[in-house]
Amino acid sequence: MTDQETSYRQAEANVVLRQVGKPLERTDAVGKATGRTRYAGDYTMPGMLHAKVLRSDIASGRLKRLDVSKARALPGVACVLTAEDLPDRLAATDMPGQTGQKRAATDRQILVREIIRHHGEPLALIAAETPALADKALDLIEYEIEPLPGVYDTASALEPDAPIVTEPDNVVGKYKIRKGDTEKGFAAADRIIENTFYTQFIEHAFLEPEVGLAWVDENGVVNIRMSTQVIEHFRFIADALGVPHNKVRILGAMVGGGFGGKEDITVELYLALLAQTTRRPVRLAYTREDSFVGHGKRHPFSVSHKTGVTEDGKITALEVTISADSGAYVFLSPYVLLYCAVAAPGPYRIDNVKIDAAAVATNNMYTSAFRGFGAAQACVAYEAQMDEIAKALDLDRFEFRRRNFMRTGDKTATGQTVESAIWADECMTKALDALGDKPADTGTVKIGRGVATYQQSYGRITWFHDTSEAWVGIEVDGTVIVRSGVTDIGAGQASALGQIAAELLGVGLDDVVIYNSDSAVTPLAGTTTATRALYMTGRAVHTASTNLRERLVAFAAQELDARPDEIDLANGQAFVPDDPSKSMSLKDLASRGASEGLERSELAMFRAPFTDPIDQETGQGPVFPDFTYGCHAVDVAVDTETGEVTVLKSVGAHDIGQAINPQAVEGQIEGGALMGQGYALSEELIYEEGKLVSPSFSEYLIPTSMDMPDIQCIILESRSGLGPFGAKGIGEPSLTPVAPAIANAVADAIGTRVFDLPITPEKVVQAIREAQR
Amino acid sequence: MLRDFELDMPADLQETLACLPGGTPLAGGTNLLVDLRARRESAERLVWLGNIDAFRDIKIEDGQAAIGGGTTVGDILRHPGMERAAPALVDCARVFGGQMVRNQATLAGNVCSGSPAADSVPPLLSLDAELCLASATQVRTIALDDFYTGFKKNRRSPDELVTGISWPVPGPNTANRFYKLARRKGDAITVVGVAVTVTRDGNTCTDARIALGAVAPTVFRAKEAEALIIGETLTEERVDEAAQKAKELSDPIDDLRASADYRRDMVQVLTRRLLNQAWQSLGEKEAGR
Repeated sequence: MTDQETSYRQAEANVVLRQVGKPLERTDAVGKATGRTRYAGDYTMPGMLHAKVLRSDIASGRLKRLDVSKARALPGVACVLTAEDLPDRLAATDMPGQTGQKRAATDRQILVREIIRHHGEPLALIAAETPALADKALDLIEYEIEPLPGVYDTASALEPDAPIVTEPDNVVGKYKIRKGDTEKGFAAADRIIENTFYTQFIEHAFLEPEVGLAWVDENGVVNIRMSTQVIEHFRFIADALGVPHNKVRILGAMVGGGFGGKEDITVELYLALLAQTTRRPVRLAYTREDSFVGHGKRHPFSVSHKTGVTEDGKITALEVTISADSGAYVFLSPYVLLYCAVAAPGPYRIDNVKIDAAAVATNNMYTSAFRGFGAAQACVAYEAQMDEIAKALDLDRFEFRRRNFMRTGDKTATGQTVESAIWADECMTKALDALGDKPADTGTVKIGRGVATYQQSYGRITWFHDTSEAWVGIEVDGTVIVRSGVTDIGAGQASALGQIAAELLGVGLDDVVIYNSDSAVTPLAGTTTATRALYMTGRAVHTASTNLRERLVAFAAQELDARPDEIDLANGQAFVPDDPSKSMSLKDLASRGASEGLERSELAMFRAPFTDPIDQETGQGPVFPDFTYGCHAVDVAVDTETGEVTVLKSVGAHDIGQAINPQAVEGQIEGGALMGQGYALSEELIYEEGKLVSPSFSEYLIPTSMDMPDIQCIILESRSGLGPFGAKGIGEPSLTPVAPAIANAVADAIGTRVFDLPITPEKVVQAIREAQR
Repeated sequence: MLRDFELDMPADLQETLACLPGGTPLAGGTNLLVDLRARRESAERLVWLGNIDAFRDIKIEDGQAAIGGGTTVGDILRHPGMERAAPALVDCARVFGGQMVRNQATLAGNVCSGSPAADSVPPLLSLDAELCLASATQVRTIALDDFYTGFKKNRRSPDELVTGISWPVPGPNTANRFYKLARRKGDAITVVGVAVTVTRDGNTCTDARIALGAVAPTVFRAKEAEALIIGETLTEERVDEAAQKAKELSDPIDDLRASADYRRDMVQVLTRRLLNQAWQSLGEKEAGR
């Protein structure tokens, strides 16, 4: 994979790495393996109350009566809050930014005042002495809801007389992308292929449901210790409470999975209100059932592709129409929609592109962030379409992709030049090689092979002007401390920062301690979302460590009577590599430095590229800092009589620029492979008139250990990314191509396609029958 | 949250039976505790069965297999004699719930829960199993085939406990198979479960049982389908007829897991497949003699 004429920016080529790139035991490994790690739910306080949330069990209605008097009268109940008891404030549903800016008019009611817009919308909050009393109080609340006509699919929501969920017309987001001239492009095509693909509502299904503990301290600060991806919701919480921003502090803990489901505000608002009212510590732990109805879901999309193509397999034009169900409140839907629109052409060179996307409100559960964030749904469509076109042209699917792949130096559909390596082809080649020979069919069991390649952004939308801060310091004994607000949601976000600091300061990972996830004490790092934590905070740590290193090196040069450029730091030593007589331990260096007033710490901010928003009419302009490219490839066995699909082998090959910790990267690829398998084959939240009818893990089917295939991870390193040491991102990208790869493999096995996920046994049998007709 | 309930922990079988009127037997709890938490079940007093002596004994002797009322699904998997004594039950135990459920759940509990999707019932029906029911005043046996009276209804009276399940061990010219069709491979609720038993003498099927799960209010034997193959050579046509009949006898519902139509079709597919496999495996045995 050497590139003789490296046309892309390559970071720090040919450097010797001592810590980075090694599969070191993560700093969080032992604590988790031995059960000593404290998660947010493990924290308690003396005198703590237990909270519960009463929710609407219907999706569209008017709250006629809410009588909490019996619940309040129950001995042991400290507090019952309804909308009546709250000031007329709203809760933000926007992306938490470091700028504190917010979209207009997208806030939601905190508790239902009158109109109920989705199943699970909160009616009342309870705090009681025990969890059992809180449950009992919940049963004692009497209410009457008058059902109102609702709207439960996007097409109906756009009809002229549809009930309005979101003013003025149920459209909560719209994007257009225009590039070249599609009319001309279609005129130049030999064939035009049109298909529509559908995805479903799905659930994040993190292991740890939402949980937190809040208390008001002696300074009047509302402290909230909780499981979240985003400690910087403290600003929105303060706004909702009517207190200054510095009076709310959010402390994270190790998080038992997020996947986007802990990106929006969850329990912290209720905790803050109850703690503020009772002035006692309050704990709120969602049950799994609470979690199913308590946070936003992945958007169902319909994505229609119309592709013009020449007989020799060159795409000449692409029109894509996208519709997403945003549910009852706006949340992050417009951004998810933008991601889908920008991703819609895939990693392909297409000169003439026309994309129209709309997100539409319904009375379904609101939809928001979910690993892949619209770009995953886009991939489900474009990679299926690529296979359908190849089939129509009778071309090899892989060769057809190769004729259209973007290559390094190409521009995206919005006219953004990708400055890093574009190795979609290289990744596909590696993944296919790893699959080896396709196994033979046996009787009614047919083997299918599928791939999906992708282009997925890492880092936030560039007009958000994203920043991240980190602090790095060296103690007088030569040990290192890293402080950053970054939340660790299980992927090793904190440990990776330690590895970067260790690399640059010449110590081992064991010599580094990382303090993270405290909105008042650790430098603010932004969110652990958008595949940005390693990229953004990794760069901040890189800068802080580099600056500190320079000072240490300069001081060591003085001490060792050498030039700074002769000094290296490694293995806890400062030394001149060519002169064994000139070395000193970092311990001596740091303590000597301390006595001489050497500044032994550094606070640094990293700024992503800042741009203006894209053009509203053409969608042209940069949207993201950079992109990851890769491929997932699978072999599946399909029982053509029963429709059962078994994934035999699953290979993810991704150019992630530079692996900071390859073992953590493999964890992401394996996790993505399994999550994507559930998305493809078995997972679906079923809403009937907006009511969730599959609210447990016996109906909502995530893959189990019995369903896990042989998974192989292939890491390619172009060292061309914007992250530390040329890293790109892998958190979301590892998931994105999995479901379409499986869908393509099933289609390959049965010779026809299921166009809507999940691909259940029943749909497979139906598709085979329809094809035989 | 799990609501409050009384828990009796009697010391032996006699005490247990004395506790039973008004109490609900608690064995593995993999259904009962889940249902209590979900408020689908309102039992206020549970009777724990964990102290009953030798309650998990498994005996295979004189052509008869007998398991105690406390035998777990995992016990079936780990018992070396079961592969021969109850092939379909072992097929079932491999795909029953997940590992943790298999360690806790008992066969008797699964049978008494009476769910049409109870996975152990088709195999036990295909083995012609009997239940031993004991109360403080009497002990009786009842054929599993006569046990169910409707959806989650059976002939166990509230003061009775299933103390054992027994069945004749299939002979060497009998094949016994089960297949669970579900939407994933672990911890799944069955979409269709089919168990078959075929006894072959030369080119004649001398006995057959076909038991169908999750396609009617109770698990049931498709006896009219069995009748089409008993005394016959299992040619492709005969098997197709029996599979078609099994499909016709099914009366499934539409639910989140699958449509009724799909379930009916799968009864046909799986019955045909299992009968063919059973018949052919016996043919291979004969040829090998």
